[in-house]
Amino acid sequence: MMAVGFQDVSKHYRERPAVTEFTLQVQPEERLVLLGPSGCGKTTVLRLLAGLGTPDRGQIDINGEVVAKDGRNLKGPEERNLGMVFQDLALWPHLTVRGNLEFGLKAQRVPAAERQKRVCETLELMQLQSYAEAWPAGLSGGQQQRVALARALVLQPRLLLMDEPLSSLDFELNLQLRHELLRLQGELGFTLIYVTHNLEEAFAIATCVAVMKAGRIARIGAVAPIRAHFEELLRRTAAMAPEQAVPGAFLLSGPACPP
Amino acid sequence: MLTGQRITLTATVVLLLVIGVAPILAMITASVMIDGKPSLVHYQALVSSRRAWALLGHSLTLSSLTALCGTVLGVLLGILLGKTDLPLRNLFVILFTLPLLLPPYLLAVAWSAALGREGWLSDLTGESRAAMSSDWLFGLPGCVLVLTTVFMPVAMLLTITYLKTVAPRLEEAGRLVARWPRVLSGITLPLIRPGLAWAALLIFLLAIGEFSVPMYLRYDVFPVEILTQFSAFYDFGAATAAAVPLALLTVALLVVEGRFLSPPRVRGFLGETEGSVIRLGAAHIGWLFGVGLLCVVLVIVPLGGLVLQAALADYVDALSRAGDSLFHSLLYAAIGATLLTLLGFFCGYLIHTHALRAWRWVDFLTLLLLVLPAPVIGMGLISLWNRSATDWIYGTPTMILLGYLAQYLALTSRTTAATLAQISASMDEAAAVTGAGWFRRLSMITVPLARPGLLAAWLVSYIFCLRDTGIAMLVYPPGHDTLPVRIFTLMANSPEGLVAALCVLMMTATCLPLAPLGLVMKRWSRVP
Repeated sequence: MMAVGFQDVSKHYRERPAVTEFTLQVQPEERLVLLGPSGCGKTTVLRLLAGLGTPDRGQIDINGEVVAKDGRNLKGPEERNLGMVFQDLALWPHLTVRGNLEFGLKAQRVPAAERQKRVCETLELMQLQSYAEAWPAGLSGGQQQRVALARALVLQPRLLLMDEPLSSLDFELNLQLRHELLRLQGELGFTLIYVTHNLEEAFAIATCVAVMKAGRIARIGAVAPIRAHFEELLRRTAAMAPEQAVPGAFLLSGPACPP
Repeated sequence: MLTGQRITLTATVVLLLVIGVAPILAMITASVMIDGKPSLVHYQALVSSRRAWALLGHSLTLSSLTALCGTVLGVLLGILLGKTDLPLRNLFVILFTLPLLLPPYLLAVAWSAALGREGWLSDLTGESRAAMSSDWLFGLPGCVLVLTTVFMPVAMLLTITYLKTVAPRLEEAGRLVARWPRVLSGITLPLIRPGLAWAALLIFLLAIGEFSVPMYLRYDVFPVEILTQFSAFYDFGAATAAAVPLALLTVALLVVEGRFLSPPRVRGFLGETEGSVIRLGAAHIGWLFGVGLLCVVLVIVPLGGLVLQAALADYVDALSRAGDSLFHSLLYAAIGATLLTLLGFFCGYLIHTHALRAWRWVDFLTLLLLVLPAPVIGMGLISLWNRSATDWIYGTPTMILLGYLAQYLALTSRTTAATLAQISASMDEAAAVTGAGWFRRLSMITVPLARPGLLAAWLVSYIFCLRDTGIAMLVYPPGHDTLPVRIFTLMANSPEGLVAALCVLMMTATCLPLAPLGLVMKRWSRVP
């Protein structure tokens, strides 16, 4: 059973196509990175998967269950058992760290004792025990990232979506949180779909990379062949005269790798 | 800071003090003086008067109930019209806002024409029920109904505005784990709670100063005491003393609100995403029916009834008897709105840029003057300008314009400040590095970019000047009464058809600028 399946999914914003006949399959416990330039439709794919947007056409499955089909969402976002970390983190400023974690558990009517246990465990997992009563605005950037991740994981989702969550961090913190993410994924075994435009970040996290361009998958495959392809293109671009080089062209040129 | 900027903004602050603060201080001084000597006799008489306490109790009851009903209804409608995909949302917003744009007593007249003993709705229900509905209308419940209809749009419009300032991601993060009702109660509404508290307080303050509706529906309230002392007993000292408690109550509530709730300032709209709009789905028909029914009951039935009640002959009669008042209304509202936009621009500029340390006071004072009961401002203006040395002002329509400037300045200053907040600071900075002076930057960069917002400020202040009753009633010079004042004085002893025709004329004069207002708002949302 696939963890995620997209079949010929299309989505337009007004007249502009965001995703066109998009097809993708993600295996359970896989770490898929959606890579591509700004505006190529990466975030739209995540939002359609989360139920925050409605596809115009096509079908979306999560864990073998159809969640969207023929221009309709069959399951609301809260029914899809997934967690999401937004680019701007979207921590609720009027709730403490504990409040941020408890909100979803309360909404799903988890009993108080079980709720406390899960919040404590997740805070411990993310090394945030001493910040339970802190307000998000009082935390550092790295701590806020951890809270956002903790909030997504406290519901024990089988699928975690991350939309460029580390893009605003400095290199050192970015590196540290990448390692933590890999550790958590290894421990908890969720399927990860991660959006970025950063090649290095993509290759460090992914088990599978999908390169997107203009709302479609231009190339998909394991990390090694995709990395080799990009390195070759970078070498070629470096050898070109400046007037010949087209920015971003290397993302699409060359033969497609086998999926 | 540049000299030209400092001089202009300082002059603006001084003008605000002369127009808004000096009258209030003059009124307070007048209330503690008798024959040139300090005395608290008026206050002693007020405090020992059982009637005054009873009236104050009535006022507090009426304004509390209005604030409660208006806020609950306004927030619900604000969510439905500002957050969902309900069909005809914009039309409903306009229809529900209509009563706020009209003189409040006009709704009371309209309900009286429908539910009074000889009202057209009462004719359908029989004599005994007509008596019952009339008894219900002429009293506290009727006042609450009318004032809720009039002031509810304040809560509705503020809710719609503040909902747009909530980052869509915060709600989407909630939607991943919870349904919309829980997201609204746990995330959205708590985030805009200061705005909702501000809406409730604003309705309370607007209702406590309102006298025309309780007067018409025969429910005695405190502001009526001011008018009674002034126009029935000619006791100016007692009238000013009666106005002071309302002024103090307003100041106290604003201070408490500012200290504990810090009213949010709209710094820009974050827009909406597909995931932050509530899809009503199949339930939209039920909601549409419910909102439509509410709109029919609160707005269309009373105002539509008024339109139907007037015959063609009544309109001819109305124009012949109040044509000059209509002309005065349109003229003074246009001049008032122009002056308000000009002064409001500099106040708004000061509030937005914090260019002088006095900006907080300017913001507070304009807001205070907006929510001060109109009779208080009217009494203040009379206290300050009714002297032989200033008779050249007191005996002219300038008094009406001064009243408009004092009461409605916050409308234009806040609209300007919100408009300027939408314009990137780098626009002005880019002009400054080219060597352009402050006035040149203002006229060539800031004003053209803020033009749609300024036009909106003009239209909003025009409508509020046009609907004004409280100030004009106290300060208009002989032969210069405005249409709302003329209707108010005529409605007690004139045929119903004539009163209805006058009210329809008033509605038409108010509604005509709404179409350009709508266009301006559309353009305003596109300002960078």
